[in-house]
Amino acid sequence: MKKQLIAAGSALTLLALTACGSADYAATEIPPKPVAPTSTAPPPAGPNCTNNGVDELRSIAPTGALPPPHQMPAGSTMEEIYRNRRLRAGISADSLNLGSRNPITGAIEGFDIDMVREVARAIFGDPNKVELVVISSPQRIPALQRNSVDIVARNMTINCARWQQIAFSAEYYRSGQKTLVQRDSPAKSLADLSGKTVCAPAGSTSLDNLNKYKDRGVKAITADTDTGCLVLFQQGKADGITGDDTVLAGEAAQDPYARIIPNERISDEPYGLGIPQGNKDFVQFVNGVLEQMKADGRWKASYDKWLAPTLGPAPAPPKPLYGRR
Amino acid sequence: MTQTVSAPPATWSPPATPAAPSGAPQPPQSLSTPRRGPLGEWFAGTPGRMRALLILSAVVSVLFGLAAAQGFRQSDGALQRAEANTAQLVRVQAIHTSLVAANADATNAFLVGGLEPPAQRQHFVDSLATASRLIAEAATAQPADQTVLGQLNTTLLTYNGQIEQARANNRQGLPIGSQYLKDANATLQNDSLPLLNALVSANEDRVDTEFDGVGDGNVWLIVGGLVSLAVLVVTMIWLAKRTHRYLNIPLAVGAVLVLVTMVIGGAGMAEASSTAEDTRGDTYANALALSRARIAAYDAKSNESLTLIARGSGAEFEKGWKEAAQRVDAELAKVGRVGAPRGWQDYKRSHEAIRRADDRGNWDEAVNLAIGSGGDSANTYFGTFDKSSAASLETTSNAAQQQLGLARGALPPIEWLGLPIGIAAALLAAWGLSQRLGEYR
Repeated sequence: MKKQLIAAGSALTLLALTACGSADYAATEIPPKPVAPTSTAPPPAGPNCTNNGVDELRSIAPTGALPPPHQMPAGSTMEEIYRNRRLRAGISADSLNLGSRNPITGAIEGFDIDMVREVARAIFGDPNKVELVVISSPQRIPALQRNSVDIVARNMTINCARWQQIAFSAEYYRSGQKTLVQRDSPAKSLADLSGKTVCAPAGSTSLDNLNKYKDRGVKAITADTDTGCLVLFQQGKADGITGDDTVLAGEAAQDPYARIIPNERISDEPYGLGIPQGNKDFVQFVNGVLEQMKADGRWKASYDKWLAPTLGPAPAPPKPLYGRR
Repeated sequence: MTQTVSAPPATWSPPATPAAPSGAPQPPQSLSTPRRGPLGEWFAGTPGRMRALLILSAVVSVLFGLAAAQGFRQSDGALQRAEANTAQLVRVQAIHTSLVAANADATNAFLVGGLEPPAQRQHFVDSLATASRLIAEAATAQPADQTVLGQLNTTLLTYNGQIEQARANNRQGLPIGSQYLKDANATLQNDSLPLLNALVSANEDRVDTEFDGVGDGNVWLIVGGLVSLAVLVVTMIWLAKRTHRYLNIPLAVGAVLVLVTMVIGGAGMAEASSTAEDTRGDTYANALALSRARIAAYDAKSNESLTLIARGSGAEFEKGWKEAAQRVDAELAKVGRVGAPRGWQDYKRSHEAIRRADDRGNWDEAVNLAIGSGGDSANTYFGTFDKSSAASLETTSNAAQQQLGLARGALPPIEWLGLPIGIAAALLAAWGLSQRLGEYR
């Protein structure tokens, strides 16, 4: 009897001591990572256009002389912009020498920026009447389609597929795609980077060209911007970057451990200013401005200021091709 | 062990059960009545039933004592853990606040262009140091949080590395610095904050569970008390019928002791439980709301800078600002007028001025408004809000801890006295019954 009592008593005591042991909480759970959305492929090239170095470059010819500043034709896109009191331009703030934010002054400057400032000068008589809207590579076409910018000057390659979605000015610079690697890399071409990871900005023609090297074992990785690729490169997550020579020159200038593979130009990248598809009058106007700039030396002055130090003396400005309506 | 019952029952101990030593030879006393066995005989007839009741009421009384002690231990433990978990929750939210504060500094400093103001940089460094110290503290305080806190620490290292790289590049005048800043911000938003949200919600759940558990101890006390009262009363009635004496005083005293313990204990526990509920609905709720308001406010401030950094394509960040500002308003509405922080409405107005300038296309003016530190700039008003909300938060969270501590202190000491009370009641019951049992000898 005594033993039973003791057993019952000790069982109860044990119960009493352990029943409140709720201080052992379940471990806090690590939340799951969200899945990144996959990008959409661009539409196929239209029926009346093949990328042959001529067809896609045809823009809409300007009619007559440019209207003087402050006197935009009534009902035109330019008049609308004039009433808006500023030209909204989609640009890059991180491509050194094309469009980048100067960390010291905070101002955005470069070759592309000069182009839109000249367009603003032609409308307002003042190159500073520009609202610089910083956009990433994949945002360029959607921004134009939504009409949230009037013009895009962001090292944008003219091609047939994009003509389906937006309009382009005549060519204002002929770039070419090159590859940037570590200074001590033995690679002499992009194909030599077999088994390595190479970065290109998402939604860019550079990425389309890079994807052609997949069969040869080159792995592609993307970032939102050109500089995003440089960060991946510096962090060792990418072994190389492929992109326009203009952009790569700016990146190499920021990283002494990077070099650009010379003598291999994967493709021609003709730059055009992107304009919403419906605004044909504005395309003509911008083409008129570009013709003036190329003729009176403003184009060369800008090239000399931004691109000559890294890309060598100025070539002849690209000849405009017209014929589109 | 072979002796029969002869000693006074107060120290009476029952004989060994026959099953006790297996294989050992049976003691000789079992010869007297071979059919029933010694145990059966011992419980036979009226004195046998008395013995059985004696054992039953004594055991039940001791069990009551243990149950009462357990009930109080449980309530006291729940209060203690509510206090500890509240402290942990405040700590985790302080980590959250420090991180978003650091990020707001970093993004705002970036807008300035050139070198960041030394005071802002210092605030950034201090915030990160605070977060880092609190992570170590929190990991010690709550082992269940250790894995997530470890992960959080890893993301902080990455974040700080990216910020320093952004600074170094900025110092060289290289635009890539801005990309590192963007990546750092993404690290914080995508890697650190989800971990912090998980920590906050886990600790909120723990606090809720403990607050809910404060009153649960009463179940032990009431069930134990009712059962033992029932046994004692039934024994008294049975005894009264058999012995024709109306009141057995020791048994009655034992029953009263159980009843008094139940009433005092129950009242004490109900009091503690209602204090805890008051704290939960008042000071704890206020501390929680203030803490959430601060986090949302810093989130808004970061979004303000990011909208400007994105320069024209920051619509998403401005949406983020609006959501965060709504959260601040909602949380501040929960805090009563007393202790409500100042400066928030002023800051909202200055934010609107910034947005107006930017939407007009006047980015430079918007930036000047956003980075200025003059009398009526956004930074000044936000600083006012930061200081005054931090002070209110400290007051309310200290008050919550204090109230929970007081509730614990006010509990009657039944956690320790429970067992002695049970034993005393058992002794009284045994004494009372053995008086009657003596008459049968």
